[in-house]
Amino acid sequence: MIYGFNTFLLLLLVAPIVSLLCVKMKKARALSPIVLVVALLTGAATTGVSFWRGDRLSLDLSRLTPLPFALTVDRLSAFFLLLICAVSVPVVLYSASYIERHYEGLRRDGLWILLPAFIASMVLVVTASTGFAFLFGWELMTLLSAGLIMMEGDAGQRRHNIFIYLLMMHVGAAAVIGAFLLFLPHAPGLTFAAMRTVAAQMPQGMRTAIFLLAFLGFGTKAGIVPLHLWLPRAHPIAPSPVSALMSAVMLKTAVYAFVRFGFDFLGTGPAWWGYLVLAAGAVSGVLGVLYALAENDIKRLLAYSSVENIGIIFMAIGAAMVLRAYGAPSLAALALLAALLHAINHALFKSTLFLGAGSVSDATHTLNMEELGGLLNRMPVTGIAMLVACCSIIGLPLFNGFVGEWLAFRAFLGGSTLPPIAPAIVLPLVAGVLALIGGVAAACFAKLYGVVFLSRPRSEKAEHAREVPVLMQLGVALPAAACVLIGVFPAIVLWPLMTTISELMPGTAMPAQATSIATVLPWLALAVIAIVAVVALVRRTVRVTATWACGQPGLDARMQYSGTALSKPLRKVFSQVYRPDRAVNISPAGQPYFPETISYRSVRTTSFERALYRPAVDAVVAAAHRLRRLQTGNIQVYLLYLFLALVSLLLFMRFL
Amino acid sequence: MGLVDIAAAKTLASSAVFIFITLLLLASAKRTRTCIVLFSMQGAVVTAQILATAYVHRSAEAYAIAFLVLVIKVLAIPYLLLRIVDRLNMPREVKASTTSAQSVFITAALILLSFLVVQPYVRAFNIDEDMLAAAIALVLTGCFLMVSRKKALMQVIGLLVLENGVFLAALTSTFGMPLVIEIGIFFDLLMGVFLMGLFVFRIRDTFDHLDVSKLRRLRG
Amino acid sequence: MKLLLDIVQAVLLVALAPLVRGIVSRIKARIQNRQGASVWRPYSELRKLFAKEDLVPPTASFVFRLSPVLLFAVTVAAAAFIPVLHASALLGTMGDFILLAYLLAFGRFFLMLGAMDGGGAFGGMGASREALVSTLAEAPLLLALTAVAVVARIATLAGIVQWTLQQDFFRLSAVHALAVAALALVAIAETGRIPVDNPTTHLELTMIHESMVLEHSGPSLALIEWASAIKLNVMIALLIALFAPWGMATAFTAAGLAIAIAVYALKVAALAVVLAVVESSVAKLRMYMVPDFLGVACALSILAVVFTAVMR
Repeated sequence: MIYGFNTFLLLLLVAPIVSLLCVKMKKARALSPIVLVVALLTGAATTGVSFWRGDRLSLDLSRLTPLPFALTVDRLSAFFLLLICAVSVPVVLYSASYIERHYEGLRRDGLWILLPAFIASMVLVVTASTGFAFLFGWELMTLLSAGLIMMEGDAGQRRHNIFIYLLMMHVGAAAVIGAFLLFLPHAPGLTFAAMRTVAAQMPQGMRTAIFLLAFLGFGTKAGIVPLHLWLPRAHPIAPSPVSALMSAVMLKTAVYAFVRFGFDFLGTGPAWWGYLVLAAGAVSGVLGVLYALAENDIKRLLAYSSVENIGIIFMAIGAAMVLRAYGAPSLAALALLAALLHAINHALFKSTLFLGAGSVSDATHTLNMEELGGLLNRMPVTGIAMLVACCSIIGLPLFNGFVGEWLAFRAFLGGSTLPPIAPAIVLPLVAGVLALIGGVAAACFAKLYGVVFLSRPRSEKAEHAREVPVLMQLGVALPAAACVLIGVFPAIVLWPLMTTISELMPGTAMPAQATSIATVLPWLALAVIAIVAVVALVRRTVRVTATWACGQPGLDARMQYSGTALSKPLRKVFSQVYRPDRAVNISPAGQPYFPETISYRSVRTTSFERALYRPAVDAVVAAAHRLRRLQTGNIQVYLLYLFLALVSLLLFMRFL
Repeated sequence: MGLVDIAAAKTLASSAVFIFITLLLLASAKRTRTCIVLFSMQGAVVTAQILATAYVHRSAEAYAIAFLVLVIKVLAIPYLLLRIVDRLNMPREVKASTTSAQSVFITAALILLSFLVVQPYVRAFNIDEDMLAAAIALVLTGCFLMVSRKKALMQVIGLLVLENGVFLAALTSTFGMPLVIEIGIFFDLLMGVFLMGLFVFRIRDTFDHLDVSKLRRLRG
Repeated sequence: MKLLLDIVQAVLLVALAPLVRGIVSRIKARIQNRQGASVWRPYSELRKLFAKEDLVPPTASFVFRLSPVLLFAVTVAAAAFIPVLHASALLGTMGDFILLAYLLAFGRFFLMLGAMDGGGAFGGMGASREALVSTLAEAPLLLALTAVAVVARIATLAGIVQWTLQQDFFRLSAVHALAVAALALVAIAETGRIPVDNPTTHLELTMIHESMVLEHSGPSLALIEWASAIKLNVMIALLIALFAPWGMATAFTAAGLAIAIAVYALKVAALAVVLAVVESSVAKLRMYMVPDFLGVACALSILAVVFTAVMR
């Protein structure tokens, strides 16, 4: 098996080189996606088989590197590796067509070189088994994704957004490095095996510090509110396949790392760790979906919805930590099962949605919902795949999103059986938060789908949209099909996931709840299909005729509800969250009833930026101004600094 | 066990729940008349509670008190208040400074708070937890109603709810005060309602509204 | 025998749904001093609609025609969750209340999509308002059901009913009182009755559900109407099953079943009277008061959940 794994890694590393070689040869251009797909399929097959057998693949490169550098694939790694490979295949297929159609010359070649490298860096993150290898992959992942975003262009606002992305990623990385460094005195090589053994003997304060740093670092990468700021900025400006990879896969590496730290290294912690994660998840979930609801740009909407889904995943992880802390391992396993399952589910439907958004912009050259409409009739395959993904993301039964949310519900419900009063109140109430998130998500995606794909086109561009090439259709259809498959037969992923979890938490078995949902869903699907079939058989004639327009000459697209109008009632109810800045200008002033022109402007201010980030940014800027006084530009002053540094160093060395 | 025994036991067991429900309804009610009717219903629950206590403890005094409560709190005061509302001919809304959802949330929080507060005493003195919590919740919600409602009439109702709470607390912790004191309190209460009714009329006649939040002259 | 009874009660919930609707409107008419239409009127309306042709706007996609069918299918599936005559149901022993709530959400989502696909202004308006109501109803619905499930210590509806049947009717717990209040408010919002929505209105200022189905006609409209009748019936049956299941057959005897049917009919009749009285005496709320209404439901359900922990 290890040969298969080595082949996979080798192919993955060869892929960028192939792309580099293909720059000059036009005919060989198809080679790079082929190599990449072959690599990913090899990887998926190898990991699948080794997962099945329970092998532990490992690869030690410490002889070649200054610090210990080794890869190990245990069940948890294999699970995430499988996720990366499985989701990347449709993305690469999609890119094969998308990149050819949209990019030329240097940009195209750059994308094909960076894309395999980016996937390789994510593979490195989830398989690394030493701190050095992990951090190497972690940094590489950030830089390569930034590079991929840059390929789309780096003018003006985009550069600012990329800068914010990199800045926040590095703050997060600093926290991650801190978490690793705290292990250093106890586990010198920073190998994961050593960290696992020493973590139990470390003092509680140290463990808490490691936990908090890991939560901060991985939370930043995952996009937990209020550390989500980069997410709605970076995702929309990346090329669509890259946004799909970033949202569907890269965020999951943070989930992986957090589970690795929280469950594998640190083991059972105090309950408040879990409550902290639970609260952060709940806040992310609610705010993420509310912000998503208000967006009219498809990709920004999807980015905020990623914040929401990461929130749901962290809610389940938090519940698992709480349940574990109170000594209910089987319920904790159920919650963790929900978290990991939702991670796969989110990867599947979010990649469909981002790729579908790419197809929409390919066909219409816009992502503004107010200019779209009626695309389902014009792009049937993309439209149906997107419908499936929308149903999945809001958790409708018979689609995969439901299974994860259902397991989370049952885990929260299970909290009521704990003897202490705090979790027995908090966990069932969290079920209400999850229900609220589900409700708003339904409104949000009904808006997305209804406005973009249904009824009349709202602009010329949408009017003349045509279906995208086959490979791009395949890219959206494959994950969508997987969504339905998992939604109807969840057992196919529940069993492998449970094996992973029992490796993390020994002694836990498949919870009865998970078995019951796996039994009932196929029957439910059968029942619904049977009823639909019966009803479809007895239906009568259909006549196509214009919608009645209240006696007016006819309806046009302007009479349809716009995306903004659709979300208005909910935005009004939750206006405390949005805090909109509105301005209505009527001219001439003082004549409200007979105006010549009216202009209306409404800007949402995300309250976080005002309350949280503005003071921090101001403080940094102020500090920078103060520091600037050091920079006089006078060479003698600089020499003075050197001199002072030397003297203080000598004093330091002498007296320490 | 006879039917009356069962009925008494059930009443004692469930009256706290009914009191919580009347409180939540009072918080969500939008019209003054509804509030008055709800207060009357609350009085009925309290009456049932006293009757049950009287039966269980075989206390003739408690029967008398139950009768007094029935006459004064369930019939007389609500009737008087309803007449005042009819005569005043003012807008029907209670004019709350919180929305009804917020009020219900706050009331719910107050009920929880009262449960938390009574727990040590319940353990120490072996009193029925639900009833004592209901009594505290009545006091707190009465205060909340007085604070958050702008109409003068609602302040009267808030005060009455508060008094219900004090009464219930006395009933559960000491099995009632001496009858003479009870009668005195009731008399005070009735006079209080009369006086407040008079004040309400005076306020209306002088200022042409009942909005207490607009009476700020005293500030100087 | 048990399976047969399960099937019979699901079919009854579906087949008698229009009748319940007819009874409610008849009682309502009587309260308002009107003669009122026959209680069988909804059936003749369904028959009439099924005989007509289906009009589809030229701009609509297949979602427009699919949505009524899906809505009907999932609503019927939801009906198979509710124990009516005995403490079991076709899907109620395996599927739990979460699945039930999400099935209802399934139908609503497709109804909203179908409404937007119509291409008129009304569909979008209805969808937008429905989004408001259903979003805010979701949390109290699940929390109220959670509270009941926590008290019964089981999540399947059949299990909850079985547990409740063994309890004493008079041992009223605060949790149940709060949950039934919350669930009743949510049921009104979910089924689109006064004071949240008015099933008989055609004024664009007030309609929610009606404006969503405005572009549908013929069999599609019939399916939607039938589905909403089933939903009302399901909600009534759910309230009865969770809070007053006493009288359900415990053994499969003819007498037991006859009693179960009679008692269930009486309970439905009582709830229909309550609904009719409420609808005749309460004014419809302004749309932006609906969040307040559901906020009350939310507070009640949160309190119910908290009480499950405090009072155990």
